[in-house]
Amino acid sequence: MGFPLAPPALLGFIGIGVMSSEPTASSIFPRTDWAELGPTAEADAVRLDRLIRLYWTPLRIFLVASFPSLKDQADVLLQEFAEDKILKTGWLQRADRERGKFRDFLKISLRNFVLDRLSRAEVKRAPLSLDELEVDLPAAEETAEAFDLTWVRTVLAETLRRMEADCKDPAEEQPRRSQIWEMFRIRLLEPFFNDAPQVPYDQLIESFGLKSPTDASNMLLSAKRIFKAHLTRVIKEYAEHDAATAEEIRALEEFVAGLARKMP
Amino acid sequence: MSEFDSAGALLKSAPKSLAAFLAAGEERARLWRPEELGAIYRHQMSAPILMDLGGFDPATATRLRTLSAAQSLLLTSFLDLFLHPVPPIELLNLTKDFAKGNMEHPDSSLPHEITAVLYYVSIAAAYVRLDRKISQLGDAEFKRGLLWAKGQPWVEKPIQDLLDEALQKLAAGGPKA
Repeated sequence: MGFPLAPPALLGFIGIGVMSSEPTASSIFPRTDWAELGPTAEADAVRLDRLIRLYWTPLRIFLVASFPSLKDQADVLLQEFAEDKILKTGWLQRADRERGKFRDFLKISLRNFVLDRLSRAEVKRAPLSLDELEVDLPAAEETAEAFDLTWVRTVLAETLRRMEADCKDPAEEQPRRSQIWEMFRIRLLEPFFNDAPQVPYDQLIESFGLKSPTDASNMLLSAKRIFKAHLTRVIKEYAEHDAATAEEIRALEEFVAGLARKMP
Repeated sequence: MSEFDSAGALLKSAPKSLAAFLAAGEERARLWRPEELGAIYRHQMSAPILMDLGGFDPATATRLRTLSAAQSLLLTSFLDLFLHPVPPIELLNLTKDFAKGNMEHPDSSLPHEITAVLYYVSIAAAYVRLDRKISQLGDAEFKRGLLWAKGQPWVEKPIQDLLDEALQKLAAGGPKA
């Protein structure tokens, strides 16, 4: 199936933004001058811009998994989706927490957006039958899983990136903060993600100058708490409320646990 | 310090690794593996008393320092305290309270096995060396605790002997006074 790659001008960009001809280096939405829309809109735009940048990969994976023939146009479509849907006034408000998770809302929105584009293209060119369109859609569960798995990976990678930067920040007052990151890396990250052997406890005492098991345990516990604080912050940026954030953390944990059980 | 490529490592991570990492990252998940208890126990026994007990209130901490200094125990270890021929009762009490506080606290970071051994050994030391019972435990419960501590494979000889002595003394009818 061939989806016509239309030039942006013909793709019906109808965002609320005031267009600016000057692209900004820091934004993936160079055509919108959010400053002219007032501080609230600007703050929302900055936040959304960051979210879209961060979750571009899971969105792209979901799009390609749902519509394999659109692989080559995925980035353009995502850009249009972001401009046309996400950055439209009220879109974020429609991601009502009572109506489901932000992640699910994003998936449904993207899927509907692409289907809409496909049907519009079909009306214009009439090259496809609905049967052909169906063939292009793999099992919804698989694509949703691929999206959610990449989402979890993205959330965790971002959490770890921030945790590391935080722990290595010399301005931070907590003593031994860089050691806390190192302990977390040696103790959890390397064994789980790089198949590294566990460093024996005796070696930890020597490496970190640990004075007692309380000292050692407090260091490891601090690391876990810093990780959790960053994880919560990363998720709260899209889940917004504390309850929704806690629920999302639980949902992500349950999702990967369920996926792990299914896999050999 | 080595670098960890978070994005790279996470990108290729299997769901099993992610699930195990998230479970282990939970605050309430065990911090240490069971096979590490021996090393942790040895570390605890060799740890400076003031390091762990120094966390009490300022008045107690000052008293602790005075006691330790008076008994030539300053900056010496829990093992030294337990093997001292006449250990200061206050230090044994503080050790017992420190251990009990950790045993009962749901957020304690110390392994329960380590704090439980510390608890029973501090009571045993007072019982054997000072002929004093510093806990409200009944004889049967005390005996169960001593036997449990003695049964831990990582509890080494000098402390095993102390626990044996406490058990023998308990069987013989307990403290004279």
